[in-house]
Amino acid sequence: MSVVELEAQELALESPTGGLWVDAWARLRRNPGAITGAALVASFIVIAIFAPLIAPHDPTEVDILAVGTSCCPGPSAHHWLGIDQLGRDELSRIIFGARYSLVIGVVAVSTGLSIGLLLGSIAGYVGGLVDSLIMRLMDIMLAIPGLLLAIGLVAMLGPGLWQIMIAVGVTNVPIFARLLRGSVLAQREQDFVLAARAVGVRRRQILFSHILPNAVAPVIVQGTLAMATAIIDVAGLGFLGLGPQDPGTPEWGTMLTQVDRYLQSAPFLAFGPGVAIVLSVLGFNLIGDGLREALDPKLRGRA
Amino acid sequence: MLRFVVRRLLLLVPILLGVSILVFAWIRALPGSPAESLLGERATPQAVAQIRHQYGLDKPIYVQYWNYLKTIGSGNLGTSIASSRTVTYEIGHRFPATVELALAAMLFALAVGIPLGFWSAKRYGSWFDRASLVASLIGISIPIFFLGLILKYIFAVRLGWLPSIQREDVTAVRPHPTNFFILDALLNGDPGALWDAIKHLILPAIALGSIPLAIVTRITRAAVLDVQNEDYVRTAKAKGLRPLTVDSRHVLRNALLPISTIVGLQTGLLLSGAVLTETIFSWPGVGSWLKDAIFNRDYPVLQGGILFLAVVFVVVNLIVDLSYAIINPRIRLQ
Repeated sequence: MSVVELEAQELALESPTGGLWVDAWARLRRNPGAITGAALVASFIVIAIFAPLIAPHDPTEVDILAVGTSCCPGPSAHHWLGIDQLGRDELSRIIFGARYSLVIGVVAVSTGLSIGLLLGSIAGYVGGLVDSLIMRLMDIMLAIPGLLLAIGLVAMLGPGLWQIMIAVGVTNVPIFARLLRGSVLAQREQDFVLAARAVGVRRRQILFSHILPNAVAPVIVQGTLAMATAIIDVAGLGFLGLGPQDPGTPEWGTMLTQVDRYLQSAPFLAFGPGVAIVLSVLGFNLIGDGLREALDPKLRGRA
Repeated sequence: MLRFVVRRLLLLVPILLGVSILVFAWIRALPGSPAESLLGERATPQAVAQIRHQYGLDKPIYVQYWNYLKTIGSGNLGTSIASSRTVTYEIGHRFPATVELALAAMLFALAVGIPLGFWSAKRYGSWFDRASLVASLIGISIPIFFLGLILKYIFAVRLGWLPSIQREDVTAVRPHPTNFFILDALLNGDPGALWDAIKHLILPAIALGSIPLAIVTRITRAAVLDVQNEDYVRTAKAKGLRPLTVDSRHVLRNALLPISTIVGLQTGLLLSGAVLTETIFSWPGVGSWLKDAIFNRDYPVLQGGILFLAVVFVVVNLIVDLSYAIINPRIRLQ
């Protein structure tokens, strides 16, 4: 066999594994957990987008008379999940709450991701004193427990929905910065970086168009899992009373705070928002786990 | 080994200094002043000035920071504005509560998680394995405060089996020499108090332990799966050791390495992150104390408390590193 033929054969052998992302996608599609997760998240997205069409009532519509003497009347044909202490329809509030939860997750994670990405890649690529300074700052942030740091930031910014999203996002910064720095350090010494430098590509361009795209796989996994924790943490801050100050806002965590008082007479009020949080978090966790397995280079080619 | 310990201890200094600067700067950035929160919004300017002078808030910022460093250097963390007790006194009373809760939560997570993970790995792919995987995934996905509410509703409201607030019966008057209530009950030889303390501990410990439980289960399962295909396990089996001996001496012992790391990290988090659990169960620990301090703008409590927790967190991580080196003789520390 000639050399050309041998090479052709090798190419033919390699072709079924069409690169990391194609492989990953193929594996992801066969992972029942990831599919379940994607279905969960997709249904929450649909619910969030079409909330006004799906919800049977206005989530802020107060009907004190319907509450009666003791809080609160349970599920009925008219209100499937019952009504809360102000007579608002619980199901409609949970449906509108999906909007908040998804926005919360996206804003919190993109805040953490973008700042962490910037700091981590600069630290990893520039190195030296800049690296030490940035990473020591990250160490200090990690030395303060996450929820406490978030509570502290909310205390500084004032309570409110945007504030808790940003606070949770900031607590994610050191995690992403460390991850990115490690990834960039590993990529920096690769041959293609040397090649790019040799032909005179500018440093910034090397970082953004050569190193970062190759360092991004673990970040995507971490980002998906961070969505899950962000939703839990924001709900937790809402539960502590640091969330939206307008009590009409149907944020799941805030809804649970108000329930604590009525646990004896209306436990069903805790059920809805709680299960909604669990399902949405579960969805992101399942996708994250699936992605981690799919993107694991050790499993490459085993689609 | 000694050099490693010393070096790790020296590394603590810049971290703690950084934390103290961060906490100090953050407190100055908070809206509202302690004088306002202490005296109300309609306080006279003289009264405000007097409070500011009393707490040294009228001095330049670097002087305030230097004074702060000097006082914490001498072991004095200041006096709580809200309760007028010293921060050290409060920590002495509240930290044992948090430690007791965190240890109980970790004990629960280990006692359930290790056997669960071990049997899942042994029956890899079986329905038991799948069920425990799903359960641990749900365990990670369930917010502590929701789980807390469910436990409270079922066991306290519905069944009435367990109390859902505080550390002991509110009417009880008992001596507490150590503030570890279980230890106190044992020291006093009071079985009634012991049962009372345990009863109060069960629900918060399960709520707080749910996440470590899920993590411990997963890690144990993965570690056992890894270890059981090693050559030395096959050798042990081949030379005719009883399955129980192989499992306990060869498989589980080596699987303990990754578990110990996770346990350490999680214990640090539990000690510092019990804010939600302590709030739901009105547990008088450090977490709920700091949360209240934020609402009260209790500066000394926040500075001292967060600094204290950061120290605890860093020290626990140091102990984890050290114990890791002791458990695993293959690690030679440079």
